[in-house]
Amino acid sequence: MAAWDLSVAVEDLGADAPPITVSVTSDLHIGGVILKLVEKSQVKRDWSDHALWWEQKQQWLLRTAWTLEKCGIQADAGLIFMPQHKPLRLGLPNGLNLRLRVCFSGPVFRTVLGICKMLNIRRPEELSLLRPVEEKKRKKDRDLSEELYDLTEVPLTSVSRPCLYNGMPAHFADSPKTEKVYKMLSVAQPAPPPEAIAKLYRPASVVDKAHIHSRWLDSSRSLMEQGVQENDRLWLRFKYYCFHDLEPKYDAVRLTQMYEQARWAILLEDIECTEEEMLLFGAIQYHINKLSLSEPQTMTSSPAMDDLDSALQCLEVKLVGADSSPQDMLENLTAPELNDYLKIFRPKRLTLKGYKQYWFKFKDASISYYKSKEESLGEPIQQINLKGCEAAPDVNVAGQKFCIKLLIPAPEGMNEVYLRCENEEQYSSWMAACRLASKGKSLADSSFQSEVQSIRSFLAMQQTNPNTHTDDSMSINTHSLVSPRYSKKYKAKQLTPRILEAYQNVAQLSLTDALLRFLQIWQALPDFGISLVVVRFKGSRKDEVLGIAPNRLIRIDLGVGEVVKTWRYNNMRQWNVNWDIRQVAIEFDGNVNIAFSCVTADCKIVHEFIGGYIFMSTRSREQSDTLNEELFHKLTGGHEAL
Amino acid sequence: MDDIDAMFSDLLGEMDLLTQSLGVETLPPEPPSSSSREMNFSMGFADMNVESLNELEENDLDALMADLMADLNDTEEKLAAELGGKKEAEAPHPDLPPASHGLSFYPVPSLSTPTSPERGPNTFSAPLADSPAPIHSPPTLPQHAKPSKEEIEAQMKADKIKLALEKLKEAKVKKLVVKVVMHDGSSKTLMVDERQTVRDVLDNLFEKTHCDCNVDWSLSETNPELQLERGFEDHENLVDPLSAWTRDSENKVIFQERPDKYEVFKNPQNFYLWKKDKKTIKDMKDRDKELLVEENFCGTSIIVPDLEGVLYLREDGKKSWKQRLFLLRASGIYYVPKGKSKTSRDLVCFVQFDNVNVYYGKEFKNKYKAPTDFCFVLKHPQIQKESQYIKYLCCDDAWTMNLWVTGIRIAKYGKSLYENYKTSMKKAAVTTAWTNRTAATAATTSIPSTPSPTTKAKASGQANGHAPQPPAEPVAKVGNAPPPPPPLLPTQILPPPPPDPVLPPPPPPLATKRSPPATSVSRQLPSLPTLPTSFPPSPTSMANLPPPPPSLSQDDSSESPPDFLPPPPPTLGFGPGAGSLPPPPPVSLPPPPPPDPGFPLPPPPPDPAFCPVTNRGSLPAPPPRQSYIGAGAPPPPPPPPPASAGLQSTPSVRRTGPPPPKRTTPPLAAPGGGDFMSELAKAMAKKRGNQ
Repeated sequence: MAAWDLSVAVEDLGADAPPITVSVTSDLHIGGVILKLVEKSQVKRDWSDHALWWEQKQQWLLRTAWTLEKCGIQADAGLIFMPQHKPLRLGLPNGLNLRLRVCFSGPVFRTVLGICKMLNIRRPEELSLLRPVEEKKRKKDRDLSEELYDLTEVPLTSVSRPCLYNGMPAHFADSPKTEKVYKMLSVAQPAPPPEAIAKLYRPASVVDKAHIHSRWLDSSRSLMEQGVQENDRLWLRFKYYCFHDLEPKYDAVRLTQMYEQARWAILLEDIECTEEEMLLFGAIQYHINKLSLSEPQTMTSSPAMDDLDSALQCLEVKLVGADSSPQDMLENLTAPELNDYLKIFRPKRLTLKGYKQYWFKFKDASISYYKSKEESLGEPIQQINLKGCEAAPDVNVAGQKFCIKLLIPAPEGMNEVYLRCENEEQYSSWMAACRLASKGKSLADSSFQSEVQSIRSFLAMQQTNPNTHTDDSMSINTHSLVSPRYSKKYKAKQLTPRILEAYQNVAQLSLTDALLRFLQIWQALPDFGISLVVVRFKGSRKDEVLGIAPNRLIRIDLGVGEVVKTWRYNNMRQWNVNWDIRQVAIEFDGNVNIAFSCVTADCKIVHEFIGGYIFMSTRSREQSDTLNEELFHKLTGGHEAL
Repeated sequence: MDDIDAMFSDLLGEMDLLTQSLGVETLPPEPPSSSSREMNFSMGFADMNVESLNELEENDLDALMADLMADLNDTEEKLAAELGGKKEAEAPHPDLPPASHGLSFYPVPSLSTPTSPERGPNTFSAPLADSPAPIHSPPTLPQHAKPSKEEIEAQMKADKIKLALEKLKEAKVKKLVVKVVMHDGSSKTLMVDERQTVRDVLDNLFEKTHCDCNVDWSLSETNPELQLERGFEDHENLVDPLSAWTRDSENKVIFQERPDKYEVFKNPQNFYLWKKDKKTIKDMKDRDKELLVEENFCGTSIIVPDLEGVLYLREDGKKSWKQRLFLLRASGIYYVPKGKSKTSRDLVCFVQFDNVNVYYGKEFKNKYKAPTDFCFVLKHPQIQKESQYIKYLCCDDAWTMNLWVTGIRIAKYGKSLYENYKTSMKKAAVTTAWTNRTAATAATTSIPSTPSPTTKAKASGQANGHAPQPPAEPVAKVGNAPPPPPPLLPTQILPPPPPDPVLPPPPPPLATKRSPPATSVSRQLPSLPTLPTSFPPSPTSMANLPPPPPSLSQDDSSESPPDFLPPPPPTLGFGPGAGSLPPPPPVSLPPPPPPDPGFPLPPPPPDPAFCPVTNRGSLPAPPPRQSYIGAGAPPPPPPPPPASAGLQSTPSVRRTGPPPPKRTTPPLAAPGGGDFMSELAKAMAKKRGNQ
């Protein structure tokens, strides 16, 4: 057989270096070519990660046993010898960028598995990569200075399950630098400045939202094949909105990133919510920010914390057990009190007197007031039980107005009572007491102090004069917690008390619980988990929107913006893609057939979404650890998989 | 040791104080037939004549006693083991099966176990005990106190002190005496402490009624004034909502089947696919239903049905109803303001669910001129009267109303609802199995019974023997006729029972229960008072009607009395001897607050004395014994209750054996067939002999 010359560029020698020419025959297999190439290059190093990339055909030559003839390679083929793993800039759900080495030669699905293993995110099948939204030129300059976390130096581990070291996967514990990366991954980021939120791209319409989904990479092909180059930017996002088996103990990174993605979806109005929901989201964000700052260790050192918890519990039990004297017992049964002069106003009485001063006593869950301190031993003028009441702030820091508005339920309805405090101190304690009492807790409750603290910090946020800020970590602009729409609608002065109101319902949550609560409320939104694609149904003349949700497909009329029809996967018999005319056809029970062509996204993306969700629904708790990759490709691959 | 002794004496001192205060409280209520707390009870009984009242009270008291006894079980088991209390307890077990027919209290104990504060004191100071734990306390106290002080080591003392401290803590636990109206209009009285959930109380009622325990059984509250009704959720604490009732409230607690309770899990498509055409919904396959439930309730977040529709809203303060487009979201109900779109950002929040409950409105067409009668209401649970803070909504049809109410419940309770359902299902499955088994055993024992429904079996037994009073259902049947002539019933019943005294007593309670359809709740402390109140009438009634007053006298006089004790205790309450006191079952709270002069009174009330002599002798006394005996015979219900019962009965000494009477009676009644009766009588006799 005749030998001929094949020239191959070796990437590692530099772009300017001339290609290396090797003499081959057509029946030489790819492995032989590589061997010759390496010998000829005379560079001694580990070449095991390298493979041949066929430039013109945009494909890898990964089957080393195939001959050149079988591959169809002739002397004019432009081959490049390059590593399969290259650095990539990865935009994380939390908005930060990470540089790490990923696989450019395997299907994207496999690449994502690798990334998630590195980042310690379980259930990688729920994530995927997409091309970022192009940013305006002006911003690109700023990007260069943006902090980039680098993980390229971390060796690729083959460990199936990373062992923990210091509460984090061992490969993160190597250096302070990587530890910092892990912290970035597993701890929620502080609230962004409102200006930053306003600057970011926000989809303005349903069609805009649909365009996002045209950016997903094809899971069955490699990065190189899809034109992604070394050091390009891609986003890593949760793509399938059915989160399987969420276990805070193992899912620190997953949970945090999920929260970040949800938070940004809400801040950028990618998913719509009502004002009340927005305020609650704001309150939980505030709470999470606060906890993340004050106890960054809780997430990472959970085993130690568990021990501590149990030790404390033991101690508690012992103390209770040792509590021997009945007197002590009785004393413990009596709660502490608050006593002070306050002013009260009861609008219901129709008096014009306004606020009147009395001596107030707060005990257990009720308030009693007396004419004066001296008379406090006698019968109170009135005693008000606060259990089940609503306590709302009526505060104007600048005007030095510190009122507590109480709505106290009674058989006849709600009684409105205003308590006026003299100063912040007094207000914080009494407000905290009212809050606890409304939930039936007494002042003895352990949460009293933290409640007082959080009220103070919220008051501080209302300070018009920033000089008086005492605690920087607490001073968060409430505009950072809501979407621009509400930032515009309300001044901080109006927003803060409302977020505070919502905050009292979540203030007792632990960090993990707060994250979970946030996710739950997010998932409970009616529009949650719906990925939109503009399509044109067969027989229809106008564009419509197809919403792909974890359990159903919905058809949305673009004009009205309303759901016209819903089909559930449960009733789905089969779906087919005609790759030639790029049309998706689906058959449901009862002889219901629909067909549509995709306008904004490739039909492969739609096909992959549907197949992906069906794959997700096949996961069960029992086989939680094994990922059926083959099935995934079967369901999502399309004709390429066959 | 010294320290311990000192502590112990301290403790005794405390106990004394507590018990005194208790006694006082209890007493006051008794004398004045109608004190505020008593009100509730009187309300419930309002319809009845004096005689019926008396009977009712006895019955109620009996039931309460049984509850209390159950509570004591725990303590007794621990402490009385040495004394042989265990034996008694075991004996009762056998009885239990029969008891189950009528009223099975034993299950209750576990729930109420916490113990009322009184017990603590009792255990320590036997003599003092009188006021606190009605019946139970006395027995336990003597037994324990003596051994511990004189014979047992310091260790024992320390243990007891600990126990006492625990009990002091428990003393703070709020308890209510609740009258529950059964589906047939009869009623049962239970003691509920604040830690008990509705699920616990339902389980308790299952035991007492022998219903089929299906998942639809629920407790509801009604508010006649506002014409509202709401099914309690199983995970709720029952005491909380009841505490919101006003003193003169006509509200009732009803035990009934509510198909809407868990409909969403049986036919989720009705709620989650309500937009689909009727046929699709109707033809839904079971597998698809399961999937729907899984989808919406098993994920990381609960999915609320996306309801939207035009409802009528009653304008604040006006009499008109205005149409609005409402939407349900997990975060609340919203409406679309005029001229706005349905997009989230334009929605206006109508109500959030944190502070309100959802109620069905009844006959609002009449009351509020509503467009239809399919109305529901959102209000703070503490609002009991007309108020601008109540939100009234009206739907076009029952279907829509059901959709909304269920949707709101899902939004408000989320996962708890599903958890409740699963628990209910388990419970239903277990009981079915258990029922079948007990039925089988019953059959072997020659008790008339239908396989599946134990209750029915009982009922039949009752019909024959009358005795079965305890079982709510059976009773109801019997009672229906009786209610009007309450007194008669007892008498009627009596004839059969005479041989077996045991039987008769139970019947009366049944009758009484039914007659008072209304449910009344007495507040925590009030509970005690309530009993007293009831007592007052009872004495009189007793005079009139010999039967009711059971027999304190007997108790006092001899061993046999113990059996009687159960019924009398309530009446006797504290008044009589320390021993008799047990009646205070309601006790729960008594210890701390009210130090009334009452003391003197309590003794007098002891109807036991009154009645005992007259009628009681025959009827009341026997039942208790029978029950005990019965226990021995029928093995099925192993529960501990018997022990507690024993304690109760033994006010002064350990008559432990007898106390269980109430429970036993039912069983006896069931067997009522006849053979059993005689057997029981023999057994009773044996027991007495032993004692």
